[in-house]
Formats: sequence, C-alpha cells, structure tokens
Amino acid sequence: MTGPVSEPSSRGQAARQLLSSAALACGADVDLLLEQVADGRATDLDAHQRECVHCEAAIAEFTAVWRPLTELAASHVPAPPGLTAAVMSQIRVLVRDVWYTLQTTDLGAIRIAARIVAALARDSARTVPGVRVALGRSTHDKLAAIAERATRRHRHPHAAVGVLGRTAVVDLAVAVTYGDPVHEVARDIQQHVITTLRDTIGLKTVTVNVTVDDILTND
Amino acid sequence: MAGTDEAEAEVEDAYLVARAREGYLDAYELLVQRHSAMAYRVGLRLCGNHHDAQDIAQEALIAAWENLDRFRADSSFSTWLYQIVTRRALNKVTRGRDAGSLDLLPDVADPGAEPAAQAERNLAVDAVTDALAALPFAQRAAIVLHHFEGLSYAEVAGVTRSTVPAVRSHLFRARRTLGTKLEEWR
Repeated sequence: MTGPVSEPSSRGQAARQLLSSAALACGADVDLLLEQVADGRATDLDAHQRECVHCEAAIAEFTAVWRPLTELAASHVPAPPGLTAAVMSQIRVLVRDVWYTLQTTDLGAIRIAARIVAALARDSARTVPGVRVALGRSTHDKLAAIAERATRRHRHPHAAVGVLGRTAVVDLAVAVTYGDPVHEVARDIQQHVITTLRDTIGLKTVTVNVTVDDILTND
Repeated sequence: MAGTDEAEAEVEDAYLVARAREGYLDAYELLVQRHSAMAYRVGLRLCGNHHDAQDIAQEALIAAWENLDRFRADSSFSTWLYQIVTRRALNKVTRGRDAGSLDLLPDVADPGAEPAAQAERNLAVDAVTDALAALPFAQRAAIVLHHFEGLSYAEVAGVTRSTVPAVRSHLFRARRTLGTKLEEWR
C-alpha cells in the first residue's frame, strides 16, 4: 500500500490505484469506502463525502467494480431437487424403526412402519378445523422399548423389531388457531385420527396423545 | 390441508428444534425444507461445484440432526447450520480437491435475456467465481457469509469461531483483492 492518491489519470487505472492505496488525497480511508459500497451504503454519504470530489469519484468507481458481486449475491440458488428427501431417508435409517404387525397368516406377515402410522395421523390431524400445524411421532422411544419388552415372548418370527400387534400409540404435537376452544379441537383430532387409522390401516386399538404446544393468531 | 404450508411458515425454528429433539421427525423435516437451499448455496459458493455442495448440504443436515442434543438453545438454528456447513466446506477444500472450476451459479441462464447480455452476464459470474476461488478460505468464508448471506460481522465471527476484528481484517483484504481482480476484468 502506498501513500495518498494524487490525480487519477484514467478510469481503469484509477480504481487499481485506489485499491493499492491506504487513503484518498482527502485522507478518506480506502478500506472504509470500499466497505461502505460493498455493504450497499454507497448513497449513505456523511458530511465530508457530500462535499468531497475524491470521495465521490472513489465511491462511483467502487460501485462499478463491485457490481458483479452484488448481482451474483442477489441471484437465487434453489436447493437441488430431492435434497430434503435424501436427508430424511438417511435419518430414518438411523432411527430405529418400530413396526406394527397387522396380520399374520399362512401367506406371511403384514407389517407397517410406525412412522407411516405417524404420518397418516399427522395428515389426518391437519384436516381438523382449528389445527394450524401438526407434527406426528410414533410411539415414544420409551413406550416403544416397553412395548418391545412386553411383547417379546409373543413376537412373531417375521417381525424384525418390536411387534406391537394391532395396537398403535401416536403422539401428535399441534398448534391451533388462537380463540378456538382448545379442548374441543384436541378431542376432534383424537376422534378424527382414530377413525382414519382404523379405516385406512385396520389398526384395532389406537391411542392418540395430543399435545397442544402453540397457539397461532390469524395475522 | 389448505393453508398448512403457510401456517408452518409461522412456526419458529426454535419450536421445531424443540419438537425434533423430542423425536418428531416431521419437525426436523420442516427444518430441512427451510434450510436446505441455504446449506447447498453456501456449500456451492465455498467449494465451487455442484457435487461437493450437495454432499456438504446433505452431510451437514444429517450431522445437525445427530447433534441436536448439543445444540444450544440461545443461538439460532441457521447460525448453527452455517457453522456446520462452513466447517464441512473447509474439510472438503483442504482435502485437496480442485477448486479451480468454481461454478457458483449453475442455473444462471435466463431464457428471457438477450444472448449477448447473457454472455456478458456469464462472463461477470465467471469473473467473480474465479476471483472468489483464488481467495484464502477464511477470506472467502467471510465474503460469502457477510456479502452473500447477509450475516453481520459478529455473526460471521460466531460461525467461523473467530473474532469481529479478525473478520473485519479478512473482509478488508478480500475486498481489495476482489476489487483489483474485478477491475482487471471490467
């Protein structure tokens, strides 16, 4: 870095010269001016800058030089398609899956992953009026472990993990609309989800635990 | 299910993080949907190519889930994810992969643009891309996090486990280097 810049000769040279200097002829700090432009505050001039030709010229130069970077920063880069699905499928592999066995016949066993039950329950809960957000969780880890232990002796050989038979326990965390009667919405959710799981999967005994942990306004 | 997507946008990250920690995979899936573009974009700008960026985003989002119990509730999920993505990008870059063919904007083609203007635009993108790739990683990270992602100096310092004066110094150097490179191109 050299001393203050004297008279800029040509446009291209001027910017190069400015960028290798510590300060302008007026004493203004080059780094601070470049920071001002790069941060999008080029028109945000202080009292000195409003009067100073050196600062005015430097800010104009830096604005032109920095423009491609500003444009690139403003461009939209979407996530590649399938990224969320890829992440979630890897995470599901990491999560120990719990299974419900629906039927064991001469043809074999029909099993369904507990997370499918949770997803169906969640989607079903979302259709209940007053429900704004619903998150589903199949049997809590602890409950799953208890159920697995409890059913070990009766477990069907085809079932890989804990067999819970035709009994499902689903936890739902929901956010409801402010002003709606919370207990009524919660009871509607239980009834709706239980009916859905019975009708669509054929689960016999369904327990639906509803936790209302957020209330959202309509704004 | 009408309106559910909008409603889900209202729920804060902190709420979803808390639910995800309790075992609600749904909650984590929403966080992934919200932040996957950021993870990919930052990976792309730090590492330069689509494949590494996709790997970085995927690994970072899985690592974030695996370490949810270590996530401190007083910081934001996005800051934490920036940290993981930046660290993963540094690992990739220092593993000796060629960062010469930086491709910051794979889908820059705008069908409505004039061919000549489009060609010029691509040249500008290439110029920025090359100039960024030539920066030392710490300076590049500071530029990407501050100028591309809009993080404050303090936030950049938090993400890169550095200090505000150090971030400022990296930015001062990087801006001069970038300015000189872009001036040559102009």
